[in-house]
Amino acid sequence: MDERRRHRILMVSDFFYPNFGGVENHIYYLSQCLLKLGHKVVVMTHAYGNRSGVRYMTGGLKVYYIPWKPFLMQNTLPTIYGTLPIIRTILVRERISLVHGHQAFSTLCHEALMHARTMGYKVVFTDHSLYGFADVGSIHMNKVLQFTLADVNQAICVSHTSKENTVLRSGLPPEKVFVIPNAVDTAVFKPAPERLSCHEIIIVVISRLVYRKGADLLVEVIPEVCRLHPNVRFIVGGDGPKRVRLEEMREKHSLQDRVEMLGAVQHAQVRSVLITGHIFLNSSLTEAFCIAILEAASCGLLTVSTRVGGVPEVLPDDMIVLAEPVPSDMVQAIKKAIHILPSIDPQMMHLRMKGLYSWHDVARRTEIVYDRALSCSNENLLQRLPRYLACGAWAGKLFCVVMIINFLLWHLLQVWKPTEDIEEVPDYVFPRHEEDISSD
Amino acid sequence: MEDKVEESCSQPAWRKVAYGGMQPGYDDNYTDESFLEGMVMNANVVKRDILKVMQDSVSISQYLCIVVLVVCVWTYTLGSTIGEANLLLLDVALLGSGFLVLLLTARRLSLYLLYHYILNISYFICGLYILAPIYNTLTRSISSDSIWALTVSLLILHLFLHDYSGSTIKPPGALNNPTLTSNISLNASIVASVLIASRLPSRLHVFAIVLFSLQVFLFAPLVTYCIKKYSFRLHLCFSFALMLVTLAMVFMLNRMLFAFLLGLLVFVMVLCPYWLIKIQGYKFEINGPWDEAKLCFDIKE
Repeated sequence: MDERRRHRILMVSDFFYPNFGGVENHIYYLSQCLLKLGHKVVVMTHAYGNRSGVRYMTGGLKVYYIPWKPFLMQNTLPTIYGTLPIIRTILVRERISLVHGHQAFSTLCHEALMHARTMGYKVVFTDHSLYGFADVGSIHMNKVLQFTLADVNQAICVSHTSKENTVLRSGLPPEKVFVIPNAVDTAVFKPAPERLSCHEIIIVVISRLVYRKGADLLVEVIPEVCRLHPNVRFIVGGDGPKRVRLEEMREKHSLQDRVEMLGAVQHAQVRSVLITGHIFLNSSLTEAFCIAILEAASCGLLTVSTRVGGVPEVLPDDMIVLAEPVPSDMVQAIKKAIHILPSIDPQMMHLRMKGLYSWHDVARRTEIVYDRALSCSNENLLQRLPRYLACGAWAGKLFCVVMIINFLLWHLLQVWKPTEDIEEVPDYVFPRHEEDISSD
Repeated sequence: MEDKVEESCSQPAWRKVAYGGMQPGYDDNYTDESFLEGMVMNANVVKRDILKVMQDSVSISQYLCIVVLVVCVWTYTLGSTIGEANLLLLDVALLGSGFLVLLLTARRLSLYLLYHYILNISYFICGLYILAPIYNTLTRSISSDSIWALTVSLLILHLFLHDYSGSTIKPPGALNNPTLTSNISLNASIVASVLIASRLPSRLHVFAIVLFSLQVFLFAPLVTYCIKKYSFRLHLCFSFALMLVTLAMVFMLNRMLFAFLLGLLVFVMVLCPYWLIKIQGYKFEINGPWDEAKLCFDIKE
């Protein structure tokens, strides 16, 4: 790969390994595949417990755990300017060419993108979640997002619904927003080698048992399904505040032998739980993309899901049964799924998933976005300020002041610790491990 | 991949799906006319009628008047215009009329419920009578000014958090539990009455005034709620009568307070409804497929 096309990317998010979830997974796999494409990738996140400093992961993925403690839901305390020195040092040391921030409620991501723009770097932002417009929390979040996105070069969303949401929230022109979905590691999520017998149908649920994931729907749906179909069993993996309600439901309807509660399931064990079932049930009330559905489909399970957010875009219609988030409709959908189950071949399903989703494809598409971002013209502060000013009568002026102060602080830092004094890191070329991620 | 592919007949149509990689012929930032198709604007906005809003605001001014009346009685008692005997008579009259309203507006007469009410109220009165001596000396070491200041702020808190749409005290078997704010409001009013009672000279005074205040604060919302449910017209007549009485009482007490109360009533009943209708025009609500789904059933914890 020629030097011009080789990007040096800094991924920033509060959410990264050892934490587990959709964003963490996305950053990890995307980084691995970008490394394979010959780019340099560095990840920056906050310190997790004792894990502070620089670590290396598979394939020479360098991770900076900056010594900044999380204060709420794995988020760092928003200090606006506090992270400027360390981010500047990392950007200079690693000779970064492009900063890629992930997730709208990561404070570290917002700060890093702001500093990167101040220092003249090109930035890309990926939004992984959906937000409403009604409550106070969303209104505040949307304003912060508008601030960050006002000056972002390109944005990425994980589904078309998420794109509509992001465009509305941030006022970004739709052509600046790309839709690049998540993917699934089909090499890990393989179906069971032998087909399960259809005498007893097992429905698997793996999700955090919280309100937003529709645990209350499960409480209504499970007894009804058990009543209608005597050969159905449920396996519920996951923990959360609503677990008590599910256990109460199990007691009340005497379903102890038909509903198995596994408690929290480690991500490494998800596949082994999935392959014990025939049908995967997702009851989320809101979902930008839902990787869990991909993992289940890749394991050859037929999915039944609520029709919310980006879920209808995730799988072809013959691989998923959708239902409105209403108990009666979901029971109907499960009935339909049980009916079509004999025609589903898990191995076929897995092969189809291999063709539909791959992280390498995601990386290649993200690469195009990076190229676009880098081809944007360089702008100085005065050219960028009007965009902030347009963000609102009061907010716009506030944002401008914030940016001007950041600009001054950056120049102060330049004087105090000149760029030439920051040592640059030599690039190591790590031996490739082709078996780490399946290539297709 | 970045170069634009010529639009041709053979080119498959763009689909709004996330699977299958990049769609041939379309960039990832492709936006077609179905973009934001699912967006609904101002779906839940209710067109409000100014007359209806004004009628509904009567409940607020009615309760405002009730509280002002209580304060008037407090002032007269503290100024020794009303004696103990009169106060006790007032208590009995209020209790009687309250019961009468409850009985008359009830859908069906239930002797059991009545018995239940009477038993509870007799317990309540006994308890209050026993506690009266304690209330009598409760704030002896505090100056009257502080007590008045505290009482006024508690009453403002009470009015601010009061549940105007229903009643905090509910008949047994009512469905919804009262909210935290309405409970705070009720407690503020009880503390205010105890504070005022503690400035009175005799035990019987204290007993009579606390009983009076509690009767009003606890049961007046229930009684007015019953009247409103029984007949809206009766509710309006009753409210306007109450307002006239209150204005007259305050007029006799203090001219400035009278002007203030009149202004407040006009503000609540005319200005606020107008204001609400006016700012409705600025309402801009967006709904779409990205909204969190609402559950269509109640969650029983």
